[in-house]
Formats: sequence, structure tokens, C-alpha cells
Amino acid sequence: MTASVDLADFLPAYLAEVEELLDSAHRQLMAVEASARRGAAHPKSVRELFRALHTIKGLSAMVDVEPIVSISHWMETSLRQADQAGGRLPESSVEPLMEGLRAVEQRMRQLAAGKDASPVPPGLLERLEALGVSSPVVASTARPSALLLDETLALAPRLTPTEREQLTSGAGHRRPVRVDFIPGAERAARGITINSVRERLAALGELVKVVPVAGPAPGGGSLTFVLLLSTDASDAVLKEAAGGEPAQVRALSTAPSAVDGPSVPEREPELEEEPEEGRRSSGTLRVEVSRLDEALERLAALVVNRSRLQRAVVDLTAVGAPTRELRAILQENGRQLRDMRAAILRLRMVRVGDVLERLPLLVRGLRRTTGKAVRLELEVGDAELDKAVADRMLPALVHLVRNAVDHALESPEERRAAGKPPEGRVRLGCHANSSGWVDITVADDGRGVDAGAVARRAGVPVPRGPDDLLELLCRPGFSTREEVTSTSGRGMGMDIVRRIVVDQLGGELRLETRVGEGTTFHLRVPLTITLLDAIIFECAGLRYAVAVGSVEELIEVEAARVVRPAGAHGVALVERRGQSVTLVSLARLLGSASAQAVDATPPRGLVVRQRGELVAFGVDRLLGQQEIVLRPLEDPLVRVPGVAGATDLGDGQPTLVLDLNALGAARRPGSGGREERAT
Amino acid sequence: MSEVLVVDDSKVMRDMVVACLRPYPGLNFTHASSGLEAIERLSLSPYDLLVLDLNMPDIGGIEVVEFVRGQDRLRTLPIIIVTTRGDEASRARALSAGANRFMTKPFTPDAILAEARGLLEEKPA
Repeated sequence: MTASVDLADFLPAYLAEVEELLDSAHRQLMAVEASARRGAAHPKSVRELFRALHTIKGLSAMVDVEPIVSISHWMETSLRQADQAGGRLPESSVEPLMEGLRAVEQRMRQLAAGKDASPVPPGLLERLEALGVSSPVVASTARPSALLLDETLALAPRLTPTEREQLTSGAGHRRPVRVDFIPGAERAARGITINSVRERLAALGELVKVVPVAGPAPGGGSLTFVLLLSTDASDAVLKEAAGGEPAQVRALSTAPSAVDGPSVPEREPELEEEPEEGRRSSGTLRVEVSRLDEALERLAALVVNRSRLQRAVVDLTAVGAPTRELRAILQENGRQLRDMRAAILRLRMVRVGDVLERLPLLVRGLRRTTGKAVRLELEVGDAELDKAVADRMLPALVHLVRNAVDHALESPEERRAAGKPPEGRVRLGCHANSSGWVDITVADDGRGVDAGAVARRAGVPVPRGPDDLLELLCRPGFSTREEVTSTSGRGMGMDIVRRIVVDQLGGELRLETRVGEGTTFHLRVPLTITLLDAIIFECAGLRYAVAVGSVEELIEVEAARVVRPAGAHGVALVERRGQSVTLVSLARLLGSASAQAVDATPPRGLVVRQRGELVAFGVDRLLGQQEIVLRPLEDPLVRVPGVAGATDLGDGQPTLVLDLNALGAARRPGSGGREERAT
Repeated sequence: MSEVLVVDDSKVMRDMVVACLRPYPGLNFTHASSGLEAIERLSLSPYDLLVLDLNMPDIGGIEVVEFVRGQDRLRTLPIIIVTTRGDEASRARALSAGANRFMTKPFTPDAILAEARGLLEEKPA
């Protein structure tokens, strides 16, 4: 028997997991770098980094991506040595490791785009290999302190010197504690497992080690997990975290070591960057966005169905049937649908902090290339954003932060001369307001935008206010000039920022700047957006979009097969698989056609279903299919039956998104059209 | 029905192992994402095969093997260790601790399937 398994099928899942591992690796490496700069060790992060690369290597081998296997192998090798050296990594090793991560990342992107991963960049392996050879193996400096572990269990030999040190040298009021957790089937069913207990205890202090001990345990178990941690939490809190009875909490006594005496040399300062949040909580679930979109689509179908029901009830009421109860249910049903839509949209929310986790890395790179001292402050709290919005916003924010460091911030000397602290500051703030919008600010304390200089460069009069200045900065042509030394500085790619924020997402962009003091960009974007797979077509010289899901079929309209019954005003019939379908000239319907366009037979038809009946809309040309961001027309007075909203196809021009089902209905006498939408 | 416990902190890797073994009829799979979870599950219900990663965040695969072999009830549980190039030094340790087979990534679906079949069918009653 041969297994009909192709591991290449796992490529999408592989890409998703490696992406997560890379994020974690970046965070750990930056923590390691921060420690290395102080000459300190960071054993935890080195270990995590090692493990991330080890996993990447193994997975890449399984799906046969040899370049990533090689890169991660050599990175792993040098990290193994650092791990054996007590988590000490020379600062000079950080850059080649960063380079390695970037190389892996680049190949991931190639794979995601359906290409082959390119070979390992020349020289990289040699540089990584050299790290392993040259990094001096510094012996661990941790001295075993006298920790009197419970004599009943021979745990002490199972602790490394570093672990003993971690247990006994807790800062502040921390004390070494032993928590016994006894797993059980009934407890597991309630979600109290070693994984959840470990996670809860890790949040209460420093969890140093977990040792499984077999043998009769209180409560009839046969296994005890002994968790050793350094904590300031009370016994009651610890016991609760371990799931209550029959868990036990015991203090571990420590005694000063006779060798060390009281003159213990000062400890290294507490490590400040413990990327604890990097651990993914087991309470989260990865879901493909397309599945959530599918749920939304299903919901949209429900909403359409509800309008049919509503109409039926109206008809019933009209003939005098008792429908009061029915109407009450219908109203409740409408509320439930809205709640459900809100619940599904909440599933698509991602933490802004997670989305921006790569920005510190970007700033780090800029610090290196520009030689400027920069501090990036992220004040995003727990703000959340629709994943679709976040994905689109990220490039805009990257642009703004890059601009701020590249152009707005002065060199340390310039800043000192201007009486500013030498280290520049870029602050990114974010908070959601209650009305469905998110406010984001990107502020720097740099030189500000000199309106006069910008005007000179653009060859126009000096703009009067910040809005005019922003307008100027966002001119597409303006962005192409790249003068790093210019005093106006800003403007690189501002047109792209505005395209994303204003045109794509329908948000707002404002500028506030003071020469010599700094610049703040205020962005306001919607909390959620509606994505739509759309067919783009041309009709009477204009482009339109229509949801793919609403179109039953695309047909060729042959003039010879079009029948125009005499007297039927503007209505023609076209044959489709032996069936007559009403052919409507979309150009005429939209009132945008010249006389000759109406007379000519449109070459293509979009077939849609209206109240069970097929209708073909004649259009001039099909331009393709793409995912669009649907921006509903917000003003209720402008709500036109048949128009779902507008979108930007990437050229900055608004394009109408048609709802052909309703467009046909509105045309008919006596029909109200479908105005109810899932909003 | 034979119960298989697949232990790896990488979900993709667990899914791959399951996909590789799926063609063998009558297997039921349970996942564990850490060595400690594996020990917990082994103590709570019986299994017929353990597929174990070596490199995990809390306690490594070798410690799991040592733990398993230290228990009367689990002394004959077949264990396949799955690991990555560079872990060769661990191979001897894992085998001497009592692991039955050792697979190094990359391996083919057929290779691990053949090992699993061998272990499940030769398993002493």
C-alpha cells in the first residue's frame, strides 16, 4: 500500500506557522540584542530563538524547502553554542542572525506568491557558520545557591544551576514555591490540564521547572506534576490557579550557602524585555479569513431571505390576516441578525498591537541605516481592528514611521544644537471610538514640515493651512523626489498613504505640524470594511463593479439572436440555452448612454436572477475579477436602489458597485426594490 | 481501533504525521502540544502508539521516553521519535531510554507509515 499523501499540500499551513515562528524569533532576537548590549545573558530568549529555528528547519525539510533548511540550520548551530554558554550571545552575532531571519522571511514570501524559494544568498551561510566558530564559549556564571528542596523528592539533581538561581533569586517579595498538580480525567474535561495550569502559574511568577512524578497521588491519581516557581502570589491564589483540591502548595526553604557567605556579588540587573506575551495562549484559534467571509456571505443570504419574508408578511397584512405576532417575531429576527453580524465581525478583529509588532524591527533597521537615535513608542493598548483594515493600514503606517525617522527627525547633533534631547521620538497611538472608527496618530518630535520649502520644491505658492500643505505633500509627482538632506523632507509616498486611508478605506487623513517642534499625522479609518469579490466591467465608457455572487452567468450576446418584440419599449430578449431571457441595456438604465449606444447590441451580458426570473444586463466589456473594498453610500438620502456603494480599484477614481438584483427591481412599476441590506 | 498519541509543539507537524499515518486502517489520533501534556494524557487513558518530537519547550522527548519507560503500565508502548537533522547525538540517548524507532525529518509518508505498521503489528499481546 502506498500512502497517497503529498506533504506539499501542507504548504499554506506551513507558511502560516513559520510566519508565527518568525515573529517570535524577531522578538526574541531583539530581546537578546538588548541584553547583549549590556553584556548580559538572556538564556530564555536564546533558548526560544533556538527552538523557533529548530522547528522552522524541521518543517521546511518536510515540505522540501532546502534554502530555508540550510539557513535555519546554521543559525540554529550558532544559537546552540550560545545556549550552552548560558544564553550569552555576542552583540556582533545579532546582525548576521537578523540577516538570516530576513533571508528566511524573503523566501517565505516567494513561496506564498507561488514561486520557488531562491537559493541562499551568497556569503550568508559562511557568515552564520563563522558565528558558531568564533563566538567565545563563556562558562555559565550562575553559581549554585543552597536551595533546600523537599527531601522527599529527589528533585534537586534535576535542576540546573541556572534554574536554582532563577528559583532563589526572585526580585522583591518573590519566594520559591512548589505547587503539586494532580491531573485527572474529570479535571481535564473541565479544562484543568497541565497546559492550562502551567500557563496560569506562569502568569503569577517565574515558572522555572515542571517535573512529572509517577506514583500514588492524593485524590486517587497516579501522576503528580511538580511545578517549581518563584512568585509573590499567595498560597490560596496559587492553589486556585492549579485547579484547587487536590493541588498542594508548599514553600521551599532556602538557606544561605556556606561558600558564598553574606558578601554575594551584586546580581545582574533584572532583564527588562521579557517577551512573555509572545506565547500564544491556548485559548485562541487560527481561522482562515476566507471562512469568516463565508459565514458573512451566508448571513447576507439570510438577510435577503428575511426581506422576502417581510414582504410576504406585508402582503398578508394587506389582505387582513392577523400578523401582529408574526411581525413581532420578524422584528426580533432582525435584531438577532444584526447581533450575529456584529459577532462575526468581532471574530475578524485583531489586536492592533499584534499587527504592529514588526514596527520596532523596522525602526531598529532605520536606526542602523540613518545613524539617528530614535525611540518608538507604541501606545495602542488593547485597541482592535478588522483584519482586513489592519492588513491595508500596515503599509501606510510603515510609510509614516519610515518618513518620520528618515526625514522628520534630525541627527543627534542637530537636535542637541536645537536644545532637544538627542534621541528622537516617534509615537504611534491608536484608540477606537464608539462610533465605529479608529483614530491613529503618528507623531514625531522632529523638525516639522517647512511649508515654504515644500512650496518652492513643488513650484507653487506657499499653502495657507495644514490641509493645503497635506494636499501638496500627497501629490503623486511630489513623492518621486527623494532628497534626504532637504529641510522639508516629508512627502515620500504620501500619495500612497492617502490612497490607502482615504480612497480605499474611506477614512480621513489630517496633518498637524510646527516647524522645529514636530509633525503629527491623524488618521481615522473604519473599524471594519466589507470585502467583495467583484466582476469589473465597462459600460458606456465607465467602469462598474458587481458582486461575483450575484451573477449567475456571463454570456456573449450575439446581435443575430436578440429579439426585439415590437412595441416593448427598450426591452429585448436574448436566447440562452434555448430559453428567452430579458436583455436590459445597462447603459440606458443608468442614463449614461448616448443614443447610438442604446441602439447597438451590447456584446456581453451579465445574467442575474430577480425574484426567480433571469435577466441579462448588456454591458460593453468585461475587465476582470478582483477583490474590492465596498464602501456603502452612507447618506440615507443618496441610497439608490441598485447601487451597493463605491470602491476604489486602485486608481484613486471612485467606481460604483452595482446591485443588479435591485437595479432590475427598481425598474419595474409597483416594486419597492430591495433596500434592506445587512448593515 | 488503535489509539495513537501524536506529540509535537508544531501543529503543522502533528497534522503531517496524522496525514502520513491516516492510510493505516483503524487508527484514532490524539494530539498533544507539549511533553507535559503527553505525560498527562498517557496517565489518563491507554494508547497503542506514541509519536514523539524530541525538541519541545517544556520537557523534551527524551524525558517523556524516560518517564514512559519508568511506568509498568507503559513499558511496552511503542514509541516513534520524530526529529530534525542535527539531533543525531540525541538518537543514542532516545534509543537507550527505550524509544523503538527514530525518524529524521524529512521523511516520506511511506517511511513513517511502514514503521508504524511494523510496531503496531509486532506489538506483544
